[in-house]
Amino acid sequence: MSKEFVFRGRAWVVGDDIDTDMIYHGSYLPLTDPKEMAKHALEYVPGMEDFVERVQPGDILVTGKNFGCGSSREHAVITLQYNDVAAVIAESFSRIFYRNAVNLGFPILEVPDITEEVETGDELEIDANTGRIRNVTKGIEVRGTSLSGLEKEIMTAGGLFGYLKAELQAEE
Amino acid sequence: MSGKTIIEKILSEHSGADARAGDRVWADLDLAVVRDFGGPNVVLEYEKQLGDKPVWDPQKIAMTFDYQAPAKVVLVANNQRACRQFAVKHGVPHVFDVNAGIGQHVLLEHGMVLPGGVIIGTDSHMNLLGAVGSFSTGMGTTDVAAGWATGRLWFRVPETIKITFKGEYDYPASAKDLTLFLLSKIDKSKTIYKSLEFYGQPIDSLSLAGRLTLASMVTEMEGKIGFITPNQSILDWIGERAGRSVEAVLPDEDAAYKEEWEFDVSGLEPLIACPDNPDNVKPVREVAGTRVDEVFIGSCTNGRFEDLKVAAEVLQGMGGKVAPHVRLVVTPATTEVAMEAVEAGLYETFIKAGAMVTNQGCSLCTIGHHGVLAEGDVLVSTGNRNFRGKLGKGSQAYLAGPAVAAATAVKGEISLPE
Repeated sequence: MSKEFVFRGRAWVVGDDIDTDMIYHGSYLPLTDPKEMAKHALEYVPGMEDFVERVQPGDILVTGKNFGCGSSREHAVITLQYNDVAAVIAESFSRIFYRNAVNLGFPILEVPDITEEVETGDELEIDANTGRIRNVTKGIEVRGTSLSGLEKEIMTAGGLFGYLKAELQAEE
Repeated sequence: MSGKTIIEKILSEHSGADARAGDRVWADLDLAVVRDFGGPNVVLEYEKQLGDKPVWDPQKIAMTFDYQAPAKVVLVANNQRACRQFAVKHGVPHVFDVNAGIGQHVLLEHGMVLPGGVIIGTDSHMNLLGAVGSFSTGMGTTDVAAGWATGRLWFRVPETIKITFKGEYDYPASAKDLTLFLLSKIDKSKTIYKSLEFYGQPIDSLSLAGRLTLASMVTEMEGKIGFITPNQSILDWIGERAGRSVEAVLPDEDAAYKEEWEFDVSGLEPLIACPDNPDNVKPVREVAGTRVDEVFIGSCTNGRFEDLKVAAEVLQGMGGKVAPHVRLVVTPATTEVAMEAVEAGLYETFIKAGAMVTNQGCSLCTIGHHGVLAEGDVLVSTGNRNFRGKLGKGSQAYLAGPAVAAATAVKGEISLPE
């Protein structure tokens, strides 16, 4: 992951209300090895069944509203992270997915109506610091919410444990 | 400065800060819970990050095994074992094992959930404890592992929407129908990340079970928590179990709400959430006659004694037999609920009707359990989610209250109780 939160990659576009069972199905919940979890990313999203075979490192997932609704399973973030997906841009995120992503240092951006501006295969340039997204293929630029405050500090530290490192060591 | 909402009060109290909507605060935790799902991941993450470091407070950690209880695959058995071993190593006394039931309900029955508390856990329906005014919220592995180490976590203080109900409705409409009604009315883009506060006569008259039903589906409304102010009888019920007197946290009169909504539930009729989303709600009569293959009565949404009682009464009232082509699975939420149901003779009614009464737990709310669906199967469930393929690829699920579920089991097609 780029600590600078600037990425360039190819887009995969999916719709609204992509729930955690679609991202990472409940039948794989007992898995604890991230590399095993990675084999099942987006398996239950219609049309994305073979995503893990086609995804390239640095690809960017673009989604509609309420991405990651449903379960608290952190597997849903890990499965994307371990496929080297660079970031998820959503029109909105479900609460727990958003939080899990921050805590794992996985870049997420909220951009209204982004699925209207991007098609699968488009080349995107993202600067999460400013919330600026350039669709290189279509030659358009949109803006979303930028990373800021505590969430950015946690993500810059590589996640919650990175952020708490100093505190946890001081206690010992 | 305006007054505070319930969530602002609780997070102020637990953070020592003047917590206002939109702020980020670090709040002290009263309880950090894992299930057999998520739990093993928390244990592994904790040990990876912190090795043998003692946990912050063993008394404030709980484990509840309800996902696959008892284990049917070795992987899950290993996971449960890893949690138990961690509990022994760290002196964690509160392990509610596979015989206990649904975690949140078990914790509530054991007096471990108090109004105004802050509780986290690896279950997206942790927030059903808002039913007694506790701020409880589902979290992932990293959060809970960090919480076990430090006893506190970051929170974004949510804005609050005040929702007031008015009007009266009669059986067969129930708390589930009020909940589905609300799901069908709200715009999730407005409730996402929000704290909801529920008021009005229809809420005041809800039993504890009914309150749990409503609060449990705040997750499906995309809310962070839904608070129902406990009345005196619920405070007494909790106080007796906790061994101390407890008080409700009330909002200030001049609390600042993001929005205030009013809904009239006069004449509410039985509703059903159709595939593949909990907010795809229709009156039962509009989809009556849809053939079903399986019915599930239970879950953290509708697995209390009174839910089972209503279902048993409908079964009996409609001839006492499940349709030959239907599999009916009934699961009490907890051991306490199961005992009550046995004493009231409900098990006899269910078993004679042809139902399978399973042991207490989450049962058919996840694919972890017996009773999963075949391709093309249709389920009516009293649970809280009907996402596509949740219980089996190519299957469909409807969500309804216990009375409709029981009537459907008898008729073999979606039906109103008679």
